[in-house]
Amino acid sequence: MQTLNEQDINADGHVNGSMRKHRSPFQLSLRRFLKNKLAIVGMIVFFIIVASAVFAPLLTEHDPKAHNLLKVEQKPSSEHILGTDSSGRDNFARLLYGARVSLTIGISTMVFTVFLGLVFGTLSGYYGGKVDSIIMRITDLFLALPFLVLALTIIALLKKVTVGLFVVIIAVTSWPTLSRIIRGTFLSLREQEFVLGARVIGASDFRIIFRHFLPNAIGPIIVNATLLMAAMIIVESGLSFIGMGIPQPTPTWGNMISEAQGLRILRYHPEAWIPPGLAILLTVLSINFIGDGLRDAFDPKSDRR
Amino acid sequence: MYQYIIRRFLIFIPMLIALSIIVFGLAKAAPGDPFSGKILDPEVGMEVYEKQRAELGLDKPVPVQYVRWASKIAQGSFGESITYKGRSVESLIKERFLNTVYLGLFALFITLIVALPIGIYSARRPYSLIDYGTTTFGFFGLAVPNFFFGLVVIYLFSIKLGWFPAQGTISSTKLTGIAEFKDRIHHLVLPGLTLGLASTASYMRYMRSEVMDVLGSDFIRTAKAKGMSANNVLYKHTLRNAMIPIITLLGMELGPLLGGAIITEQVFNFPGIGTLFIGSVINRDYPVVMAITLLLGVAILVGNLLADIFYSVVDPRIRYD
Amino acid sequence: MLKQLPHRFALLLVVLMVGIVLAACNNDGDAEPADATEAKPEDVTKTEPAEEDATEEAGPKKGGTIVGAMYSAPTGMFNPIFYEEAYESNILDFTHEGLVTQNEKLEFVASLAEKWETNEDQTEITFFLREGVKWHDGEDFTAEDVVYTYQAMSDPDYEMAGGVRVNYVAPLLGYEAYQSGETDEFAGVVADGDYKVTFKFTEPNVSPLYYASFPIIPKHVFKDIAVKDITEAAESKEPGKVIGTGPFKFADMIEREQYILERNEDYWQGAPLLDSVVWKVIAQSVMIGLLEKGEIDFVASPGGIAPADHDIVADFGNINIIEQADFGYQLMGFKLNHRTTADVDSGAVTPENWIPNKKLSDPKVRQAIAHAVNRQGLVGTGHGEGLLHGRGQPINSPIAQQMWAYDESAATNYEYDVDKAGKLLDELGYKDVTGDGFREDPEGKEWILNLDYPTGNELRERSAPIIQSDLEKAGIKVNLRQPAEMSVYVPGLTNDNTDWDLYLIGWSLSSTDPDPSGLWATRAGYNFSRWNNPKSEELMQKAVKAPEAFDQDYRKQVYAEWQKLYSEDLPALLLYAQNSLWAYNDRIQGIKILPSTMYQDSHEWWIEE
Repeated sequence: MQTLNEQDINADGHVNGSMRKHRSPFQLSLRRFLKNKLAIVGMIVFFIIVASAVFAPLLTEHDPKAHNLLKVEQKPSSEHILGTDSSGRDNFARLLYGARVSLTIGISTMVFTVFLGLVFGTLSGYYGGKVDSIIMRITDLFLALPFLVLALTIIALLKKVTVGLFVVIIAVTSWPTLSRIIRGTFLSLREQEFVLGARVIGASDFRIIFRHFLPNAIGPIIVNATLLMAAMIIVESGLSFIGMGIPQPTPTWGNMISEAQGLRILRYHPEAWIPPGLAILLTVLSINFIGDGLRDAFDPKSDRR
Repeated sequence: MYQYIIRRFLIFIPMLIALSIIVFGLAKAAPGDPFSGKILDPEVGMEVYEKQRAELGLDKPVPVQYVRWASKIAQGSFGESITYKGRSVESLIKERFLNTVYLGLFALFITLIVALPIGIYSARRPYSLIDYGTTTFGFFGLAVPNFFFGLVVIYLFSIKLGWFPAQGTISSTKLTGIAEFKDRIHHLVLPGLTLGLASTASYMRYMRSEVMDVLGSDFIRTAKAKGMSANNVLYKHTLRNAMIPIITLLGMELGPLLGGAIITEQVFNFPGIGTLFIGSVINRDYPVVMAITLLLGVAILVGNLLADIFYSVVDPRIRYD
Repeated sequence: MLKQLPHRFALLLVVLMVGIVLAACNNDGDAEPADATEAKPEDVTKTEPAEEDATEEAGPKKGGTIVGAMYSAPTGMFNPIFYEEAYESNILDFTHEGLVTQNEKLEFVASLAEKWETNEDQTEITFFLREGVKWHDGEDFTAEDVVYTYQAMSDPDYEMAGGVRVNYVAPLLGYEAYQSGETDEFAGVVADGDYKVTFKFTEPNVSPLYYASFPIIPKHVFKDIAVKDITEAAESKEPGKVIGTGPFKFADMIEREQYILERNEDYWQGAPLLDSVVWKVIAQSVMIGLLEKGEIDFVASPGGIAPADHDIVADFGNINIIEQADFGYQLMGFKLNHRTTADVDSGAVTPENWIPNKKLSDPKVRQAIAHAVNRQGLVGTGHGEGLLHGRGQPINSPIAQQMWAYDESAATNYEYDVDKAGKLLDELGYKDVTGDGFREDPEGKEWILNLDYPTGNELRERSAPIIQSDLEKAGIKVNLRQPAEMSVYVPGLTNDNTDWDLYLIGWSLSSTDPDPSGLWATRAGYNFSRWNNPKSEELMQKAVKAPEAFDQDYRKQVYAEWQKLYSEDLPALLLYAQNSLWAYNDRIQGIKILPSTMYQDSHEWWIEE
C-alpha cells in the first residue's frame, strides 16, 4: 500500500481527484475506509473476537484441555455455560482458546498463500512468455497434486503436527488458485494503453507492477484473501472430520464443530456446535466487511468513492 | 493459436510423468503398505501377508516398484487393486466415476444458476439490503463445514420432512429409463446442494467483485456516455469481461470439487471417486491412488488449457506466443 | 424505482427457478416412492397367496423384507475363503454355512454335519454330513465340497492370491507338503462316500471342531477355476453367481449401497419366512435417524449403536436394544523390550537379541502406572459419564469374558488410586528431584514415557489425552504423540527399534477357543510388548498339550494360573471391554441372540405388522 502514499496521479488514468488535490491518495483511502460503516462494524467485531482469544484466561477459569469424566456431554449450566464435550471438557473454554488456534491458522495461511500467489501470479502475468509458461506448468502440477496425499504423507512422517506445519501444508497447496487469478488479470492489463504509455516513458518493471498493475488487481486479491481465510478455518474442520486435523486435546473451532458428527449432537446438543459455528461465521463476515471496505477505499476502479 | 495448443498438449507428457513420480514418491515415503493396516485379526497371523508383499514386489526398492507400475500403464493397464481383491483399477474407477461426475455437474449447476444472477444483481445494486443479505448468506455457506451442512439437510429434508432420500444414488436396480433418471436426480439433490454450497458462496463473491470492477472501468463509462442502455452495457460489455476470472476458477474447480466430494460422499454414502480415493490413500492401495491422481491430473491440465483458450476467445487482446 | 424493478424481477426469477427444480424433484419422489423399503409392490403380490395360507392368529407369518444397516461397504469379495472384512461376513453369514456352528454357550453344534466322532488319539475327526442339503443352484451338497474347500485353502497359490485363512488348514496332515507343491495329494481332509468326511491332523488336536467350522464353498462351481483366479471370478463377486447353502441367496446388489438377499426356498431347515433381507450401507452419523424413521430395521456388529446413543435409541420406543459383552477389548501396552535394528531389517523375531526398555522393565513400575489410570472413569457408570457412558467394563484378564477359561478372580484388579501409584513409585526411587512436578528415574534422569495411539476408533482416540492427564496427575511425564492411521501405526508398533513406550491398541478375540498364544506368545507377531516370560510360555503350551488338555477343567486351571501371571507381570494394562449394542425394530420377531452374532437361524425371522 505504501506505494500509493505518494503524490502521483492514480495509475489507471482516470483523474477524478481534482477537488481533493491537497490530500494524498492514502489519506483519501483512509477517509473513505473510515466512512464505511460496515467496515467499521467488521473491525469492531473482529477486534472483539481477537481480544477474547487473547484474554481467554481472564474470561474463563476452566482449562480447555482438562477433562471431567463424570460430566460428559452436559447441558449448559452455571458452571459450564456452554456445557461440556464428549470428554467432559468445558465448551466455553474450548471456544475461547480454540479461537487462538483457528485465527492463527486462518490468518497466517491467508497471508502466506496471498504472498505466494502474488509473487508467482505477478511474475507470470507481467512477464508472460517463457516465465509464464514455466510458472503456469508448476501451478498445474500443484493443482493436480492431491492435497490429501501430501498432507497424509507429511503427517505420517512426523511425530507431531503443529499449527505452523499445518499452515505450511495448506498454503503450499492453495497458492496456485490465487496466482492464476492474478495472472489472468495481469495478462489483460498488459495489453492496455496506459501500460503501454508507462513503458514508452521508460517506467521500470517494478514501478509498473506496483503502480499500475497491483492497484488494478486489488479487488480480486482482497476478495480472494477474505474467502481464503474463511476456507482455511473450514478446511481444518474438514480435516478433523476425516481424522487428519489438529489432534485432540488442542481445541480448534474446527475440531469442536466436527464433534457434531452424528445426529445426536446435532439434535440434542446444539450448545456444542452453534457457538463455534457462529464464531466462524462472525469472523468470516467481519473479515469480509473489512476486506470490502479496503477494496472500496483503495481500489482505483471501485465505484464507491 | 493452434501451435500453442499443440505445444501445451506436448507438455502434458513430461508433466504427467513428473506428477506420477511425485505422487508415487510421496505415497511411498509414508510408512505403511497395503497390508500393514489390515492386521489385528488374531485369527490371521501377521506373517501371512509377507508372501503377498513379495508377490506384489513391495519388498523391492521404490524406483523398481515405480518402473514396474509405470510400465504396466504404458501397456495400457492400471493393474489390479490390492484392497479390492480381484478387481482391476479400471473397473473400480469406471464404477464410481460417473457417480462423481453427476454429483459434480449437479453441484456446479446449482452453483451457477444461483451464484451468477445473484452476483450480478449485487454488483449492480451494491450496498443495498439484498446485497448485504446475499453476502451474509454467502458467507454462511462458506462458514459451514461440508459434513455439518450435509448432516443438517439430511436431518431436515430426509428424516424430518421425508422429501429426499438420505443416502445412496438410486433406490432399486429395477428402475430403468425415465424412472431411473428421476430417481437418480432425486438422490442427487441433497448431496448436490451440500457440495455446491461453498462454491456458490465463492462464485457469488467473485461475480459481484468482477462485475463491479468492470462497471467502474473506462470503457463502460464511455459506453454509458454514448447513451447505451444499462442492460446493453451489462450484457454486451460487462459480463464478457467479468467472465474471465470466473473461467479461470471453473478450470481449477476440479481439484477442490474432488476435495469437497470426499467429505460429501462420505456423509451421503455416495459411492464416488472421492470415497474411493481417500479409502485407497488410507489403505495404501497404490494402484488406485496413482490411477486416480493421474486421471485427475489430466482432467485439471485439460481444464486449465481450456480456460486459457477461452481467455483468448473472450479477450482477443491476449496473445500467446 | 422503476429501473430497479427488472433486477428485482431477475432475482425473483432465480429464486423461483431454484424452487421449481427442488419442487420438481420432490414431486418425483411423491409420485414414485422409490425407496427399497417401499418399492416392492411386485414382491408383495407374489407372496400374498402364501400369506392367506398361513393361520390368521398371531404367530410366525410369511413374507416381508427387512433392512439392515452397515457403516462401510464390503470390498466385494463374497467368497468365504478369500474375504477379510466383517462387512462381507454380514452377507456371507446369511448365504454360507460350515459343518458346525456355535450355540449360546459357545459350544459347537451340528449344522451341515449331523454328528461326528474323533479317533482315540484325537488326530482325526469324522463328520457324518446331513443328506438332502442343496446348494442355491440346486446341486447336492456332498463331502467332496468339504474336501474342496480345505484343499483350496491349502493350495500353493492360495496365499499369493490374497488368502489369509491359513490357520484353519495349517494343522492338517500333510499341509506343508501340499502347500509347498511337493505333492498334489491332499491328505488333510478325506471324503468317504458322499456324506462322510474325515479331518486328519498332524498332531493330537485340542479343538478339532474349530478347524472344521469354516464355511463350505461348492466344488462344482469352482472346480474349473484355478485357485489363483478365484478372486477374479464372477462366482466370488456377483449376485446370483455366489452360491452357498444358507437360508438366503445373494440375489442382487447396487454396489456399495445395497446388497439384497432373497429367500432360499429349498433351505434344509425349511424355507425362511422373510422374502428378503436387504443390507444398506449408510453413514454412521445418520443411523439413529434412519432407525427411528424405520428406514432401517436392524443394526448390529460390526459397529452397532454408539454408547452415547444408547439412551436416545432406547427412548424411540419401537427399538429393541441388545447389550452384551463384546469379544474385544482395548489395552495400553508397555514396550518391555525393543527389537534391534538388524532384526527389524531382516524381519526376525529373536527374543535373545531384544533390548530391555529400561523405562518400563520393572513390573512394579507398570503396576504403579496401572493404578494411576482411571479405567472405571473411562467407562463411566451411566449416561453422561465416561467415554462409554457406562456401556462396558474395565477388565483384568486378556481372555474373553464369555469364555469358559475366563477367571476374573485369578487376575489382579488395579484399582484407580493415585496415592498408591505415587507411593509405589516413591519406593522404587522415581521421585521428583527437579521440582518440575514430574518424577525423575531412580538415577535422577528425566523420565518421559512416549504414548502412541492410532486413529480409527473414536473412543480410543479420545482416551489417549485422558490417559496422559491421568498419568501426569501421578507425576509421570507423558509425551503424547501424533495419532497415526492404522497402516502407519502398525509398522511403527512392529518395527520397534525406536523409542516407543506406551501404545494403545484393541482387538477382537475369537469366540471359539481361549488359547492366548497367538497374541501373547514370546514370538507372536501381535506380542507388541515383546513380553518375554518363560513361565507364561510354559503355561500356554501346557494348556494345549495332549492328552491332558482334552480335559477342559484341566485347561481352565492352567489358564487361571496364566491369567494370574499375566496380570502381575503386566505386559499391558487392559483398559476396558466395550459392550456390543445391537438394535432392531420390534416388528422383527424370532431373532435369536447369541454371544457373538444375531444372524443365526435367520430363516426363523418374521415380521409382525
